[in-house]
Amino acid sequence: MAAVWINQLLQGVLLGGLYTMFAIGLSLSAGVMRFVNIAHGDFIVLACFALLILTTSLGLNPVVATLAILPLAFAAGFALQRFLLQRVVGENLLLVVLVTFGLSIIIENGLLQGFGADPEKLSGGWMETATIGLGHGINMGLFQVVTLAAAVALVAALDLLLYRSGIGAKIRAVADDVVAADLIGLSSVRIYAVAMGISFVTIAIAAGFMSIWTDFDPSSGPTRLLIAFEAIVLGGLGSIWGSLVGGIVLGIAQSVGAQFDVAWQMLAGHLVFLLVLVVRPQGLFPKY
Amino acid sequence: MAQEALLAVDGVSVFYDRFRALADIDVAVGGGEIVSIIGANGAGKSTLLKAILGQAGRVEGRIWLAGEDIVGRTTAAIVALGVMLVPEGRRLFPSLTVEENLWLGWDVGRRGEFGFAELWQLFPQLAERKRQKAGSLSGGQQQMVALGRALLANPRLLLCDEISLGLAPIVIDELYALIPRIKERGVGIVVVEQDISRSLAIADRFYCLLEGRVVLAGRPGEVGRETVVQRYFGL
Ligand SMILES: Nc1ncnc2c1ncn2[C@@H]1O[C@H](COP(=O)(O)OP(=O)(O)OP(=O)(O)O)[C@@H](O)[C@H]1O
Ligand SMILES: [Mg+2]
Repeated sequence: MAAVWINQLLQGVLLGGLYTMFAIGLSLSAGVMRFVNIAHGDFIVLACFALLILTTSLGLNPVVATLAILPLAFAAGFALQRFLLQRVVGENLLLVVLVTFGLSIIIENGLLQGFGADPEKLSGGWMETATIGLGHGINMGLFQVVTLAAAVALVAALDLLLYRSGIGAKIRAVADDVVAADLIGLSSVRIYAVAMGISFVTIAIAAGFMSIWTDFDPSSGPTRLLIAFEAIVLGGLGSIWGSLVGGIVLGIAQSVGAQFDVAWQMLAGHLVFLLVLVVRPQGLFPKY
Repeated sequence: MAQEALLAVDGVSVFYDRFRALADIDVAVGGGEIVSIIGANGAGKSTLLKAILGQAGRVEGRIWLAGEDIVGRTTAAIVALGVMLVPEGRRLFPSLTVEENLWLGWDVGRRGEFGFAELWQLFPQLAERKRQKAGSLSGGQQQMVALGRALLANPRLLLCDEISLGLAPIVIDELYALIPRIKERGVGIVVVEQDISRSLAIADRFYCLLEGRVVLAGRPGEVGRETVVQRYFGL
């Protein structure tokens, strides 16, 4: 009996790896630019469909396809911020929310037009089916373990980028005080665009793992946004490592909740989120 | 003016929407010259400095830096040409370390003879606190970082906006003792202060602003204190 619970706990931790990937880019954009990109989840799904095209019509391996779209994702994020969101940023928070909400609807309907409502999935081949047995009936999927490892590596890489590189210092400076940054000639407009570009790179990586892990369809975006949002609030807004913890807490909550009753999976995650919000509104690892 | 003008603000007006914060201003600064801008709250002193950097509202007129009109250029471009601001209220990045704050100044600026070695020499206190968060420094230390950040950009023109604000007199004296040493390097310096005496004591020339206009200009020795005070308050 204990083995069942340990197994659920373990699956939850692994699921947390995927959730961390959803969260990390949102954490960066929200922490730096101080608005929540409502279309974050839809951009993940959009990237999943881009991978679907690359793997089915060009026959690319999913890993190669994911690597191939990373530069594109950076460019897309950069351009989105520079040429669209920058026009409304700082003016009025509601306006940014509305614009990204509009984007969310456009993406969802565009994908529905192009691909229909059927669930799609990428095949991970042998990687997807391989398991690591720990005895006592406890098994971990190789792909799930790789996902968690990649999530930890992604968080560590982003942490290094933010705290050990010049562009990282500039991103943190702009997050601290955008007016001061402009006064000393740090061009906040460019730095915002770079930050969004980096956020989109994480979106593409998240899509690479999600498209193999689970089914997706054009309306899968909002759930991903919600998970990402809950994970970054749980972890503490603006804390990079916090999104890993937040993601894992959500993963465990859902996985353990599902063990009670499958219908409880999503609800358990939301309940834990609300509970932490009530007890520790600043999140588990507040940044400041 | 003895020197060839490094900065020439030429008939400049600045508008924030419909409000005119500066009205047809002429100001000149030479290399190696300290120019003081005095005026009451809201006179337009900070607006003048921001206009030079391309960070004020809409600017009419011309601003020449070493013979180039810089109106309409980006702040990054103007800073790269050698203009750097010590902002009002210091405006450090509190969650960044002292060293990171300083590095940003070095990164946006021009390459020149003033580097980190010179900086640590000038501010030994900061050398010991390199890795400390800027937000945890005392007011005086923060002002040193703000000044150091500007110096690392190797400016030809240094703009100081109320560096004495909120500091103890002894700390202000220390900071003001540095200004002539910066001037010796041939840097043109604009000092904005509300404190008339301190500001005039250090200046080669001064301008007094009142409600966005220059109401008095000259050399501190040549204008009586009575006159300055009267114009300052618009009497
Ligand atoms: N961003 C802005 N938008 C609208 N009005 C502004 C803006 N910045 C300054 N002003 C107005 O312009 C005028 C000049 O302001 P400025 O900050 O230049 O004054 P100052 O001489 O630096 O005053 P202080 O000594 O208080 O710093 C003031 O009336 C101020 O209200
Ligand atoms: Mg001012």
